[in-house]
Amino acid sequence: MRVAVFLALTIAGALGATVASALGADPAILSGALVVAFFGLAGAAGSAAIALHAPDNLEEPRHARGPSITSPVPNEALSRGTFGRMWLAALGAFAVLGFVPLISLARKPGRRAATGWRAGVRLVDAQNQPIARDRLANGGIETVFPQDGVELPDAPAVLIRVEPDLLRGNAAPDGYVAYSKICTHAGCPVALYRHRSHELYCPCHQSRFDVLDGAKNLSGPAPRPLPKLALALDADGYLVASGDFDAPVGPDDWDRRP
Amino acid sequence: MIVRRVVGWLDERLGTNAGARYLLAKIYPDHWAFYLGEFALYFFLTLVATGIWLTFAFDPAPANAYGSALELANRAHPIGYVIRQVHHWAAICFVAAIVVHLGRIFFTGAFRKPRELNWMIGMTMLALASFTGFTGYSLPNDSLSGTGLRIADSVALSIPFVGRWAASVLNGDDAFPGALLISHLYVLHVYYLPVTIGALLALHLGLVIYQKHTQFARAPRVVVGRRFWPDYALRTLAVFGATLAVLALLATFVEINPIESYGPYKPWIVTNGAVPDWYTAFLEGALRLGPPTEITLFGHPIPPVFWPGLVLPTVTFLFLLVWPFVEQRLTRDTAWHDVLDAPTQLPLRVGVGAALIFDGVLLTLAAADDQTSAALHLRLETLVWVYRVLLIVGPLVAGFLAAHIAAEMRARIHESAVYPSDATTIVRNAQGGFDEEEPQPA
Repeated sequence: MRVAVFLALTIAGALGATVASALGADPAILSGALVVAFFGLAGAAGSAAIALHAPDNLEEPRHARGPSITSPVPNEALSRGTFGRMWLAALGAFAVLGFVPLISLARKPGRRAATGWRAGVRLVDAQNQPIARDRLANGGIETVFPQDGVELPDAPAVLIRVEPDLLRGNAAPDGYVAYSKICTHAGCPVALYRHRSHELYCPCHQSRFDVLDGAKNLSGPAPRPLPKLALALDADGYLVASGDFDAPVGPDDWDRRP
Repeated sequence: MIVRRVVGWLDERLGTNAGARYLLAKIYPDHWAFYLGEFALYFFLTLVATGIWLTFAFDPAPANAYGSALELANRAHPIGYVIRQVHHWAAICFVAAIVVHLGRIFFTGAFRKPRELNWMIGMTMLALASFTGFTGYSLPNDSLSGTGLRIADSVALSIPFVGRWAASVLNGDDAFPGALLISHLYVLHVYYLPVTIGALLALHLGLVIYQKHTQFARAPRVVVGRRFWPDYALRTLAVFGATLAVLALLATFVEINPIESYGPYKPWIVTNGAVPDWYTAFLEGALRLGPPTEITLFGHPIPPVFWPGLVLPTVTFLFLLVWPFVEQRLTRDTAWHDVLDAPTQLPLRVGVGAALIFDGVLLTLAAADDQTSAALHLRLETLVWVYRVLLIVGPLVAGFLAAHIAAEMRARIHESAVYPSDATTIVRNAQGGFDEEEPQPA
């Protein structure tokens, strides 16, 4: 009887879900009907199992333990002495050969460093609009790219404007500084700026960098400062780069010296 | 009637009835903890069923991935919405069920001879399931998972000697995000990884049937339990229904991975307080606790992400993979075991398990250390140092404590087995009747 009630729930739930999806109802109604259907199935099977009152102490013999016969190979001629070792060596030779296609999978081995920054290249925002010298107030921050290079993977930089007197040993036009936005730890965007303490903060692994002092590491797992982009102003009053970043962008690897 | 005719038709040609009868009459030991692996099985079947549907609804071309995933996240299309929600929840529950199931196998010593091979297959499936989950939630190319891929790219790049090769194979390109990155993840996610898991799963279950299930009943020469048909079949059907009901419940009430609020991946955009799916969180925690030291070897740098991002999970995996043999060495126990241990039987094993669980939980918590430090009004650097100290000291303390408790509990069980507390002595009295004598204290 209980089984019949649960099965009725299953049928109602399954048909209900069909109707709900046919009518384009809210997904919660569709999945709610599925809950009823599957709960009914579980309840029906569970109560049927309980109603069986089946014994749980039936016995079945286990297999004999331990080894069966010494060797399954009927003829040992192939695996004997030098002959056997040569077969193994041949197999090993194929394994070595296997590295060839494996290595060739790297269609473009190496690592491209495509920042797009050169002396005289204008800084632009994500809409490719140039950055005028009055773009930011003190404490302001903007993500910038080289002109026409918004999609370049190593290009993004953070432009920050600070009180020029606070900067340590850096000639910065109007207090503007720019650093690579790609963290030297694991490549995350260093997206947060705490303007009171003048530090950049990576939301992925919490590395902190001192904006006033060349983005030197304050704490966190990043091994190097963020690469710095030296800035200048062009004749029209727009910010331009005066060269590429002063260090390679992003995390290091075996083939790239820091 | 139809079933009978089909069965008869098959038997006449293939002689299947004898084998089918053997399988249906087979006896399985019954205990609630033996159902944990079945939950994992049913989550996997759900993943395959919903996943097949999703392959027809999702466009893995890099330019279209986010857009077609957005359509599946749109509540105006209830079928796609529910299937994607169930699929993602099933992935989360699948890995969780495997971990709990492996915990049961570990603490009851079910991995001992002759079942070391099946333990290794199970551990391999755990690693593959986590990797499949990661490749899956990275497919929509949204801001959250794209940042995760960038971290994965950095970890691949950090490998000594072959880092650039590994990263370039992953990306199909010499930069991140490579033009082929999503299509590589896609073919891994919908083909190589699930097919491998499916094959290992068949082998895993085949070995359980062939070697017969372990049991708590101390009867080493026989399996004690229930018949598959109809007792056990009904029970496992109930587990199947319950699995799907829970997934549908989660899909109804808790929205998972709302990619529409994350936005598409851009290398310069990231959200604060982002965490990955739970089974990769321990790696994220390890990356946060790792030191910033960059070692230089023969003039080549080894970036700091190499140790927490790759060495830690590899060493942990290999340690667990060979644990049956390590334990065999340490205990000199090479005997055949069809009867399970009580979880307190071997204090050494309990201690090792507790230490591993402590560090696993700690690293997972460390993946949210920024939120924790904000909630506790604690400096983040202080919290990181607390976690670093706990990472080393914690497992030692937890391990020794757990081993000690296990030893004590074992001694108590042993005592009560020698002097059962409910044992009474019946004495015949002078009137010819029977009296109960109070049990003597041990």
